Amino acid sequence: MTEHGARLCWDGHRLEVGEASVGRCFFADARCFHGARVTPAWAHVCALPDEAARMPFDQPEVQQVRRDALAWWIPLLGDALVCLSTLALDEVHYGGAVTVARRADAFTDDPFARLFGGTIVETDLFAAVDPPPGPVLERYAGAPWPGGRF
Amino acid sequence: MTEFPLDPGARFPDLDLPDHTGRLRRLSDVAGGDPVALICSRGWWCPKEQRYLRELTAVQDEFEVAYARIVVVSIDAPEVQSSFRAGLGARFVFLSDSERRWLDRLGLLEHTDTTHRPYRPMGFTLFPDLTIHAVYPGYWYWGRATMEELRADMRTISRAIRDAWEPG
Repeated sequence: MTEHGARLCWDGHRLEVGEASVGRCFFADARCFHGARVTPAWAHVCALPDEAARMPFDQPEVQQVRRDALAWWIPLLGDALVCLSTLALDEVHYGGAVTVARRADAFTDDPFARLFGGTIVETDLFAAVDPPPGPVLERYAGAPWPGGRF
Repeated sequence: MTEFPLDPGARFPDLDLPDHTGRLRRLSDVAGGDPVALICSRGWWCPKEQRYLRELTAVQDEFEVAYARIVVVSIDAPEVQSSFRAGLGARFVFLSDSERRWLDRLGLLEHTDTTHRPYRPMGFTLFPDLTIHAVYPGYWYWGRATMEELRADMRTISRAIRDAWEPG
């Protein structure tokens, strides 16, 4: 855990948490890893192992996908939602997002897949976090949305 | 009668109600450390509410980038709120008091509507700890907070709570 969140790594097939993890590593909302882990659960990882798959958090499409998450993606998931987080690479760059749900068939309309394609994996890494009421931007540079508070 | 004084300087009760998805939420958690515009709404059927909530929807972009919240409380059921919210294009949180657990305790019953027994259309601007900054009685439509008044209140609250408001 750092001020930028929890380290989450993805090699295109597996998700791992922690310093010894392999694959491409991101920072995710640390709250997703606090408390009882939800099982069974599936993660929709809308991120790629390729280091070039990145864009600035301030890009309009990254703002819009978060508006869509607040407007209809979270209501659409309903009780199936476990948690979600953007995946930060550094203080500037968005590397993707992960949405975790109690059903594997819940991800068809995931708006984050518009930015980077999604892969579904079964997981026991994530805890339940109440969905965010806002904002649509990260609170501190590099702090993965929707985590943190002032 | 109300159990709670709903005047500036008093603490608004920490409502525990289901949101528009049916998930139980606490008002303080929804605030999440940010200022709140808390709007009590009669319900989806009221033309005044339809007009006013379109105004709030138009200003939500500003709240979302300014670290502030809009929260609407009504007696509509969560699934009704969810439909109304989607129709408006709103992204803010609705809280459902369809069981009227808080309505009487808050003393906000709309006495003139004996059919729906809804909330009076009052508005409150709140500090993150739910201390009331301003109260808007809401009657005759003109009694509601204008978007400019909400902006001014959010500015005042943010100035009081945010570090580094002033440069230097």
